[in-house]
Amino acid sequence: MSIAVSRPLLGPAATRSLVPLGRIAVGAAGIVLWQIASNAMGSEWLPGPAAVLARIWQLTVSGELVRDTLVTLWEAVAGMVLGGATGAALPFILRLSPRLMTALEPLISAGFGLPKLALAPLFILWFGIGITTKVVFVASIVFFLMFYNGLAGILSVDPRLIAMLRVAGASEWAISREVVWNTAKPFLFSGLKIALPRALSGAVVGEFIAADSGLGWYIQNERSLNDVTGVVAGAVIVTVLVMAVNAVLQRIQARSLSWRAVAKDMAL
Amino acid sequence: MSSGCPMLEVKGLAKRFAPRSGQGLPPWVLADLSFHVAEEEFLTLVGPSGAGKSTLLNIIAQVDGVNQGEIYFRGKLIETANGAALKPGWNCQIGYVTQDDNLLPWRTLYENVTLPLKLQGRFDAAGKERVNELLRATNLMGFERYYPHEMSGGMRKRAALIRTLAYDPPIILMDEPFGAVDAQTRTQLQQDLLRLWYRGGKTIVFVTHDIGEAIALGDRVLVLSKSPAKVIAAHKVDIKRPRDLGNVYRLDGFGEMFEAVRRDIQ
Repeated sequence: MSIAVSRPLLGPAATRSLVPLGRIAVGAAGIVLWQIASNAMGSEWLPGPAAVLARIWQLTVSGELVRDTLVTLWEAVAGMVLGGATGAALPFILRLSPRLMTALEPLISAGFGLPKLALAPLFILWFGIGITTKVVFVASIVFFLMFYNGLAGILSVDPRLIAMLRVAGASEWAISREVVWNTAKPFLFSGLKIALPRALSGAVVGEFIAADSGLGWYIQNERSLNDVTGVVAGAVIVTVLVMAVNAVLQRIQARSLSWRAVAKDMAL
Repeated sequence: MSSGCPMLEVKGLAKRFAPRSGQGLPPWVLADLSFHVAEEEFLTLVGPSGAGKSTLLNIIAQVDGVNQGEIYFRGKLIETANGAALKPGWNCQIGYVTQDDNLLPWRTLYENVTLPLKLQGRFDAAGKERVNELLRATNLMGFERYYPHEMSGGMRKRAALIRTLAYDPPIILMDEPFGAVDAQTRTQLQQDLLRLWYRGGKTIVFVTHDIGEAIALGDRVLVLSKSPAKVIAAHKVDIKRPRDLGNVYRLDGFGEMFEAVRRDIQ
């Protein structure tokens, strides 16, 4: 072949191993910047990475970290089950009645627009300051995220596939399971990708308002004690938690949507 | 056929789509369209693009309803404009190979091809053997685990074809099934189709806008008018079978027939 092809310097395997290296490099740069900012501002305003890490270690040893993380995680998961599952299931039910869908959609849209934080006092009034309030708060946030993603999935069902299956003898139930569910699945994963971090931050914010345990309660408590190191340590723990949840979700998604024609490098 | 009762009979079909709100009645797509198909006949329908050919097949397959007329299947009235619920595929008796392959993207080739059998609860040993035989006959053996996006256009067309053949409906409607493939693949697909049809037991209604294809495949060619569509001419194809589709243009009588059909379409 006489055509000169410009080839990348490294092969695909080398390119792939560059990705984690790049991640580490960016992470390290962030920590360096953090240290510089801390030096410039003074550690009473922004404690450095070493101090925060020491605090996290201390919390780990004392057992507080596990206890508060479990409380927050439990609130987020229960909120996801209560709000997220119903939000995801509702479009599948509304699909059976377009009229009900048309009737309900503006109401759900109004509910989506309502700032949930403004409802927090009501939730406290109704459910007290225990875990229930946070679960309801999280549910009220993720319900809409899962509903709208599920709805987008339902609306993108290809009617030609449904017609084809009907001709081939499929029942309505088989069509729902085969075409509607499989079409909606990638949309539900997109929904989870947004809703899961929102569920965790929702639980944390809920704990800011009223709580006696949880990561949000810890952050709020340290703030009231003017312990900035504790505040930053709490924020770091929440961030790590979100990253861990995302990593798990990504594993599940990769397995469950392996049929898709997505370039491996693009799979996020 | 000796019984005198055609496999499928279409009488005086007329169709117009429901008006959109705030607009007048849309024009008729089909008007007084009638024809019949004999048992084990290969009937081709040829007509200009936009003539309502797909609409006609949708109606016969009962994916879509009709405004006037009747459809009889082996002498039994199966569809008319009486508002009764449609039964797509008429209890799996009418197969339909559409213009797009409509394979499920999340299912492998094998899962796609066997899905109708599974839905009908007929995926038994005989069904499996039949699927394997069809896979072999269409050179798809070895690709069972491919997803549609990993398959070539020709493979997808073949998969869509044998998905319908696998559950063995006595009549199969085909809507330009070999449209979007290159000429060589197309000839190959036509050859595959004829070979499968020669085994017998199948009636085929094949719609196309390609005059050459209509003559090369069919026992009879019906010419449809521009919209609103009706049958304006019928030609019996006397070219003997088996036909060499690679050289169909040199076959005896092809040229004259091509000219005759072309004149009718004008």
